[in-house]
Amino acid sequence: MKKNLKRWAGLSLAGVMALSSLAGCGSEGGSDGDSGSSKSVTLTFGSHQSGLPTSGIVQDLAKEFEEETGIKIDFQISPDAQWRDLIKVKLDSGEAPDIICVDTPIGLASSIHMDQYCVELTDQEWVGRMEDSARSAVSVDDKTYGITFPGAKMYFYLYNKDIFQELGLEVPTTYDEFKDVCQTILDAGTTPVYECTTNGWHQVLPLFETGGLWLADDSEIYDKLNANEVDLDEIPHLLTIIEQLQECAEAGYFGEDYLSNAWENAKEAMATEKCAMTIAELGFRGEVEADYPDFKATEKLGAFIMPWGDNQTIGVNPASNAYFINKDSKYTEEAKQFFEFLARPENLQKRLDGQPELSALCWPEIESKYSEEDQAFLDSAEKANVVQTSVNYIDSQWMDIGKDLEAMYTGASSPEDVLKTIMDRRTEQAQLQKDPGWTE
Amino acid sequence: MNSKKLYPWYFAAGAALVYFLLCFLPGVLGIGYSFTDWNNFTTEVNFVGLDNYKQIFEGNSEYITYILNTVMFTIVTTAAKTIVGLALALLLTQKFIKCKNFQRMIIFSPQVMSYLVVGLVFKSMLHPTTGFLNNFLRSIGLEALAKNWLTDLNLVFPSVMTVDTWKGMGYIMVVVIAGLMSISPEYYEAASIDGANFFQKFRCITLPLLKPVLVNVTVLNVTYGLRVFDMIYALTNGGPGNATGVINTAVYKEFSKGNLAMGTTLSSVLFFFMLAILYFIIKSMENKEVEA
Repeated sequence: MKKNLKRWAGLSLAGVMALSSLAGCGSEGGSDGDSGSSKSVTLTFGSHQSGLPTSGIVQDLAKEFEEETGIKIDFQISPDAQWRDLIKVKLDSGEAPDIICVDTPIGLASSIHMDQYCVELTDQEWVGRMEDSARSAVSVDDKTYGITFPGAKMYFYLYNKDIFQELGLEVPTTYDEFKDVCQTILDAGTTPVYECTTNGWHQVLPLFETGGLWLADDSEIYDKLNANEVDLDEIPHLLTIIEQLQECAEAGYFGEDYLSNAWENAKEAMATEKCAMTIAELGFRGEVEADYPDFKATEKLGAFIMPWGDNQTIGVNPASNAYFINKDSKYTEEAKQFFEFLARPENLQKRLDGQPELSALCWPEIESKYSEEDQAFLDSAEKANVVQTSVNYIDSQWMDIGKDLEAMYTGASSPEDVLKTIMDRRTEQAQLQKDPGWTE
Repeated sequence: MNSKKLYPWYFAAGAALVYFLLCFLPGVLGIGYSFTDWNNFTTEVNFVGLDNYKQIFEGNSEYITYILNTVMFTIVTTAAKTIVGLALALLLTQKFIKCKNFQRMIIFSPQVMSYLVVGLVFKSMLHPTTGFLNNFLRSIGLEALAKNWLTDLNLVFPSVMTVDTWKGMGYIMVVVIAGLMSISPEYYEAASIDGANFFQKFRCITLPLLKPVLVNVTVLNVTYGLRVFDMIYALTNGGPGNATGVINTAVYKEFSKGNLAMGTTLSSVLFFFMLAILYFIIKSMENKEVEA
C-alpha cells in the first residue's frame, strides 16, 4: 500500500514536471501555429522594464487589439540593465521576438543597428504624423524603421516643496548651493537625494544630461567628439561632475542604501518623504500620485535644473524607446497591423491618459499634459541636446558607465579611472567598427 | 588486450559522429576564432595571432580579475559544498534522525529552483534596510552584524558564494547519501566490535569507501564553479562595479559589445584551464579504480 502510494506520488510528480517543461516550450514557441488565419497568431513583444509603462497601458491596448483582430500579443519583459546585451545576442542568434522595443536613436554608429534587423516602415500611413525629431530617431538614411510615442525626455531634480519650506531652503542653482541644501536636509534627518544604482542607468544621468555645459564652451563639441578631434578628457565638466558625484556619495547625500536601491522604489521614497530629491522627469509626479494618492505629488514636488558642474541648461533628449518589427518574424503583416492600431488618434490619447509619468507625446495632434506652471518653468530656461543622442559610443556603454560609477562609490576606483574607462571603451568600440575618426 | 571486447568500434561511430559535429567541431572552431579579430561590425575576419590572449594576460587588465574571481569562486564553493553536503549526508543517514526523507527533500529543494529565482529572492532578502536578513538580525539585537551584503566590496563575494553553496549543497548531499548507502554495514559492525568510535569509523571506513563518490562530486563542482554565470548574473550582475565579475559574465559582455573574438578567447582560456584541471582529477580517479 505504502509502496503504491509512493509510486503514485512519484508518477504524478514526474507528470507535473513533464507538463511544466512542455508549458515552457509552449510559451516560447507561442508564435507558431497556422499562419493563414490571424485567429491563432501570437506576436511576441520583447521589451525592457522601462520600455513599457508601469501602468500597463500598452498591455491594455494590446488586449483591445486582440479583441478587434484576434491577434494576441505576448509580452516578454527583461530587466533594464540586461536588455541591451540580451537583445543584441538574441538578434544575432535569430531568436529575437516579433516586436522589439529598444532605446533610440538608432542612427548613431554605436546604436543597435535596428535597420539591419528590422522591417522598413517608411510607407506606413502614420510615419508622417510623428514629430520630425522623433521620426529621425527611428530612421536611418531617411528610412523609418520604428514607431515611437513619448515626447522629448527631460530630467530634473524633483524636490519636496514642504521639506524645502520647513528648512527654509531655496532651489539651488550652483553645485555649492546644492551641497548646502543637501547638508541641511541631511542634518534634519532626511535622506537628501534618492539615488539607485542597481538598474544601471539612473546614476549616469548627471554626466551626460548636462551637455549644455559642453556646448556653452564649444558649440561644435559634439561633432568634434564624433570625428575624434577631441576626447572626453578635454571636457573639464565631465571629470568635475564625476568628482562631485563621488563627493556627494561620500558625504552621505545619497543615503545609506543607494547601491542596493532600485528605481522602482523611488516613488515610495518620495511619497513617504524619506528622501527629499531625486532625478526624474516631470511626469514622474503623476506616477507617484497614481500609486500614492494621499501624497499630492503634482503639487508637492517642484523641479529644478540639475546643478551638477553649475549647469543651468535643461538637457533635452528627443530619443526614447521605440518599437520595431523583426525582419525574420513570420508575422510582419500582423505586427504592422498592431502599429497601425497604436497610431490611431484615439489610442494615442489613451496612451497619454493612461501613462501618468508621460507629459507629452511626440505626435503633435495630441495635446500635452504640462500645466501652465510646468510650461512656464520649461520656457524659462535654455535647452540643449543631451550628449548620448549626439555623441557616438556613449549610449551603447551607458550601463557599463553605471557600473563604473558603482565601482567608484565602493572605493574600487577613482573618478579619473571612471573617465579613462569611458574613453577606452569609446576607442575600443570605434576601432571595432572601423570608425574613420579613429582608424584614419 | 582489446581483441576480446564484445562490441566492435563502429557501434560507437554514430554517437562519435554526433559528438564530433555538435561538440568537438564548434569547440575547435571557437578556439580558431580566438586567433582572429572576428566582430559584429564587419564581415571580414583577419588573423591576429595571439593578440587577444596577450590582451587578457598583459598588464593589469580587468580580465585577470575575472579569472582570479572564477578560480576563487570554484575553490571556495567546491570545498564548502562538499564539506556541508558530506556533513548533512552523514547526519541524515543516522538512525536517531526522524523524518529523514522529508528533511532530505527540504535540503535538496533549492537545487530544483531556477538560478534566476534564487538570485532575485536573495537579492531582496539581502537588501540592507528592507531585506529579511538584516531585519532579522536587528530584531534579535545583533544590529552590528547587519551589513551591506551585496554592495560591500569585502562581503559581496562571500555572500554570493554562500548563496551558491546553499543552493548546491543539497545535490551533493543526495549523491553522498547514495554513496553511504552502498557501504556495507558489516564494516561498521566489525569496527564497532573492535571498539572504534564515530570519528575512527568515519576516517577509516566512510572516507576511503566514499572516495570515488567524492571525486565525482568534485568534478561536478569544479566544472560548475568554473562555468558559473546565472547565479552571479542574477544576484549582482557582476557588481558592485566589476567586483564579482567572472569569466562567463565577461564572455557575455564581450559578445554583447560585438567583440566576438574576445568572447571566444575568454571561453578558450576557460576551456584549456578546465581541461588541465579535469585531467588531474580524472587521473586521480583512475588510480583509485586500479587500487580497488
